[in-house]
Parts: sequence; C-alpha cells; structure tokens
Amino acid sequence: MSAIPSLPASWVLALTVGVLFACGTYLILRRGQIKLLLGLGLLSHGVNLLLFGSGRLARGRPPLFLDKESFQQALSTGALEQMADPLPQALILTAIVISFGITAFVIMLVHRRLTITKMDVVYGELVPLLRENDPFAPEENLASRAQPPYDWLAYEVDPLYDREDLPPALAEEMGHTQEDTFESMEEEAP
Amino acid sequence: MSGFSPNWLVVPVALPLFTGALLLFIGRWGFRRWLWLQRTLGTVALTLNLAVALAVAVETIGQGRRYVLQVGLWDAPFGISVVADGLTAIMLVMGGVVALAVFPYAMATLDYHRERMGFYPLYLVLVMGVNGAFLAGDLFNLYVFFEVLLMASFVLLTVGGQPAQTNSGIHYVVLNLLASIIFLAAAGVAYGTLGTLNMAQMAQRLDMADPSVRTLLAGLLLVGFGSKAALVPFHFWLPTSYHTPPPAVTALFGGLLTKVGIYTLFRSYTLLFPELLVAWQPLLLTLAGVTMVAGALGALAQPTIRRVLSFHIISHVGFMFVGLAVAVDIYRLAPGFGLAAALLYLVHHMIVKTGLIMAGGAVELEMGSGRLASIGGLAARRPLLATLFFLSAISLAGIPPFSGFIGKLSLLQAILDAGHWWVVAAGLVASLLTLINIMRLWQQSFWGRYRRPGRSRVRPLEEPWRRTRVLAPLAGTVLLSLALGLGGERAFGWMQVAAQQTLDREGYIRAVAPHPTIPPLDKLPQKE
Repeated sequence: MSAIPSLPASWVLALTVGVLFACGTYLILRRGQIKLLLGLGLLSHGVNLLLFGSGRLARGRPPLFLDKESFQQALSTGALEQMADPLPQALILTAIVISFGITAFVIMLVHRRLTITKMDVVYGELVPLLRENDPFAPEENLASRAQPPYDWLAYEVDPLYDREDLPPALAEEMGHTQEDTFESMEEEAP
Repeated sequence: MSGFSPNWLVVPVALPLFTGALLLFIGRWGFRRWLWLQRTLGTVALTLNLAVALAVAVETIGQGRRYVLQVGLWDAPFGISVVADGLTAIMLVMGGVVALAVFPYAMATLDYHRERMGFYPLYLVLVMGVNGAFLAGDLFNLYVFFEVLLMASFVLLTVGGQPAQTNSGIHYVVLNLLASIIFLAAAGVAYGTLGTLNMAQMAQRLDMADPSVRTLLAGLLLVGFGSKAALVPFHFWLPTSYHTPPPAVTALFGGLLTKVGIYTLFRSYTLLFPELLVAWQPLLLTLAGVTMVAGALGALAQPTIRRVLSFHIISHVGFMFVGLAVAVDIYRLAPGFGLAAALLYLVHHMIVKTGLIMAGGAVELEMGSGRLASIGGLAARRPLLATLFFLSAISLAGIPPFSGFIGKLSLLQAILDAGHWWVVAAGLVASLLTLINIMRLWQQSFWGRYRRPGRSRVRPLEEPWRRTRVLAPLAGTVLLSLALGLGGERAFGWMQVAAQQTLDREGYIRAVAPHPTIPPLDKLPQKE
C-alpha cells in the first residue's frame, strides 16, 4: 500500500479489469482448447471485478445494519450516504455461480471432444468421424455392421464445402470414403 | 373484470421449472426412464403454459393494459419486478406455440438414447428461461434468465455427444458466453453509473445522465443482444451449430432462441434509448440491411437442408431488426407502424421457421442425409410431407395467402413510408434470394428421381404414431400461418396495440413505479 501511495484503489481495480479482459481475449483467440478454457475463466473474472467496482470501493463502512438503532443513528447523521453498497456482492455471487457451472460444462465438453478427436485444436467445422468410443452406438447397428452404418447426426464431410477446413493430415486420412459410401448407396447409378 | 391477477405472471416461469424438476426425478428411475410419463407431463405443462400465455395476451392486448408483479411486495428497485405488456404477451404466446409444436415432433424423431439423457427436463428448463427473459423487468434478472436458457441450450445442442455436436458446441458455447460477458459488463456499467438495474428506473435516470453513459450502454447492449439475435457481424455461432443437433432441437432453437435476442433489443432500445433510435438510425439500418442480404446470400452457398434454413434465420432477423430501426419514425399510416410490422413479421417467422425446420428435419431423417446434391424424389413417396413443406416454404418466401406476404408487405410499407428506399431494395433482394433458396430446397429434395443415400436410426414417417406426431404439428404451423395471412388485418391491429404500448415509455415507468425516494448511489454524472 505504501509502495504506490499515489495510485488510488479504483485505478488499480480498473487496470486489473483491463488486463484480465486483454489476457482473456488473447487466450480465446488461440487454437488450443485449454487456452480457450483459461481465457473464458479470465474473462469472467474480469467482468466479476467490473461488477465489484460498480458499487464503489469503500473501506470500513458497513454494508448493512444489524439493529434499528444504528440505522436510525446513521440516518440522522447523514452517514447513510456513506454506507457501502451490498448489492454488487450479491450480483457477483450470482455471476460466479453461473460462470462456475458453465466452466464445468465447457471442461466436460472439451474433454469429450478430446477423447473423440484426439486433438487439442479447434479447427473450423471439421471433426473426424471416429465411432469406436461412441456410447450411443445402438446394438442393432453393431449386429448389422454389414451395411455401412449411417448416423444422421454424424458429421458429413462435403468435399466441395469442407475441404479447406480439413487439416492436411486428416484430409488424407478421411479421403473420399464418405463420398464413396454415399455413391455406393444410391439406388440407381448416376 | 375477469379473475386475472398479476400473480399469474409467475406461471410461465414456475410451471416449466417445476415440471422439469419433476421430470428429472421421474427420469431417474423406472422402466425405460418412464418416458411415456415424461412425455405426457411435458405436454400437459406446455399446454398449460400456452393457455396462461394466451390469458396474458387477452388481458394485455385486449384491454390495452400492463401487468406488473412486484414479487414479495418489495418496491420496484429492491424486489424482483415481473412485467407483462403487449410485447411480452406476444412473445410468450409465440414461445408457447413453438414449444408445444416441437414437443411431439421431438418424441417422434429422437432416439431412445437421447431421450433418456434428460432431454425433456432440459426442454422445459429452456422454455422456463425463455419465458423468464420475456417477463424480466430488471437487467440482472434478464441476465440470469439468459444464462438459464443458454445452459439448457448448451446441453440440448450437445446431448448425445457426437463428434459434430461437440465441435459445434464449442463454437456455440464460446461465442454465446462472450456475448453474455459483454451483457454482464453492460449491467456493471449501468449499476456503476446509474445506481440501479431496474429497467424502468434506468430509463428515468438515463434522461438525466451524461450522454456518454447512454452511448456506452447502448453500444454494449447492441453487441450483447445482437450476438444473441445473430445480427450479421455477430452471427457466426449460428450457422456452425444449428445443423448438428437432432432436427427437433434445431427446430426449437430456430423458433425460440434468436427471437429472445430480438425481443431484448426491442425492449431495451425502445425503453432505454429512444433518442438513439433516431441518432443511430443509419447504423441500425445498415446492420439490418447487411443482415438481410448476407443471410440470404450465405444460404445460397449451403449444401444441406438445415444449413440453408439456419442461414435464412439470419436473413429474417434482419427483417425484424429493420422494424426496430424505423420504430420511432413519424408515419402517415399510424403511430408505431414500423414496430407493429416487425412484430407481425416476428410472429410469422416463429411459426413458419419452426414448421419449415421440422419439415426439413423430417426429410433429412427420411433420406438419411440432408445433402441436397444426393437426395431427391421424395414427393411421390411422401406426398403429405411434400405438401406441408411446400406450403411452409412459400409462406417463408412471402407468397400471398400466407402470413409471409402480409408480414413483408407491412414491413416494406413501413420502411418506404419512412423513406429508406435502399433498405426496401435490400429487403426485396433478400426476399428474391429466399425464394430461390426455397425452390432449390424443394426441387432437390422432392422432385427428380428417388434417391435415398443413407439410413437413419429413426425413420419418422414409417410408423403411424411417429407419423402423426411429425405431421400434426407441421399442419398446425401451416394452418396458423394461413390464418395469420387471412386474418392479417385483425392480427395487425393487435400488433399495433402492442407496439404502441412498447413505445410508451412513460406508461411503462408509471406501471413499474420505481421507488422515487432512494437517491442514486452517489452523484450522477449530470448533463451540462
């Protein structure tokens, strides 16, 4: 505190909010999913601090009164104007709970994506179609693996539309299999 | 006076919430998760929700009144204010209609594995969040309800955990979360400068506050709500994600979610910043025009049915937004004509877009693929589906007996009356492109030789019980659209009542009646 006596607390708060927002924005612009998570965390911390600052910083002032006498006293001396504002803390608590829940969800989403795609990178719209780990693969499909399993939810790679989004290695790996499947299943030859 | 009391306004929030919680408990035990019970209870709850919404609409639009519930009888800035006026009522009714229409469709088209993972509870929680956002009279409650509906939509989008779903889920979650963070920052700025989060009191204090405060708040809210509404520079989350979940989820999202953003834009700009509707009109008109054309152009390039339809959502968001941009212009026709036309278009869009996505999803399930290049010839095999798809499609494109015509006509009339001819030109170009797109969808999927490139797990039109549950809601949306088109004059009258109520800021502030004696947090930045 004595090291930087000239810098008011609200400036420090504003600078912190700005730095958090800047770092968060930088991190969510990266390709990595873990950086994305960290960036979202920093951004929500930044906005929580912004909410904290919205009630004005006050030191040593009560946010609430425990009895009627002290309230009356504060009212008569005009100290009511000086009391600290309890509302931002309620707002922050709500925002923290919400961002906690959403962060938990995003972590699980990223984890699921990592187990399916084996890549820690967010690429356009492409996901390779790996069906080994699919817990939703129904039994009847397992029994009749003879016909190619088609799931309308599974990603279709459109050769015209999605080729640019493919990372080069995956494009080769996936190749034209999808396309061929479609053509082989057409009921008449083109 | 009927027995309507403001206490009924709690029902659209509480009923889906408690039913959803009950379904969670039910779905925990029982043979096959008691899906039949979940479905029945969900249908009952959604029907009751629609009934209450209709009652609210009759009371607010029919009587021209506002209803405000101060929860726990705390005065306005301290307690939770629940406000219902004509705009809210229209949104509640349309949300109820969409939710009720998609519910049986979801029963018929989802596979057991997704149903069992808590689909129905999430569906109801989503409806609760949407209804709460429509009813909130407070910026922070609006944020909370937004988060509720976003959480539910995150899970609905990714339930099943397919590769495409998790991938698009990341885009959807991150961009929506960013929009929420911007919105929350706006709430923080509002509390720091105005000392209140109650929207009526904010409107009062913004009149006295420094213009910079207004500019900052309006900008933050435009970006935040504009992202939710998928306005063009902020729309990227929508087309990457809407084609990946099951068609029922896409239909629900396409009908409900972006409209919440539109609603909040309408509410916040007419209530808080009516001056900026004039001062920023060029900006708003540009955004609207670009959104209209870019959405329709984007749809032209898309290879699958639901991708085309999700780009159309963006295009139509532009049509609704243009109504806000011309909301406060002076009209020779009637006061509030522009906003009323936008509301009519909103109603039309919610009905028709839901129906069309349901029909397109049925085609995808039937064919095993949504790719336009590889499907075809369904008209001969499924004539009823083909008819309903065609009727929804021409309604979306704006062919006369249906509601699209009356919506577009009134909107273009309003813009022409306000003298923005180039926006009209953009709108007409977008309409033409929409027609081309829709005909492309129709021709590729229904005409030509029968080609069925894939097998889907659920073929909804094979079994009779699935067929009714798919076709009945579709027919319902087509009939509603036809009714709206034929009874356009009366419907437009209701929209005008709602629009005039929305534009009447003083009435809103008087109805909420924020407590006057509480001083601002500290001295407000005063106007010179």
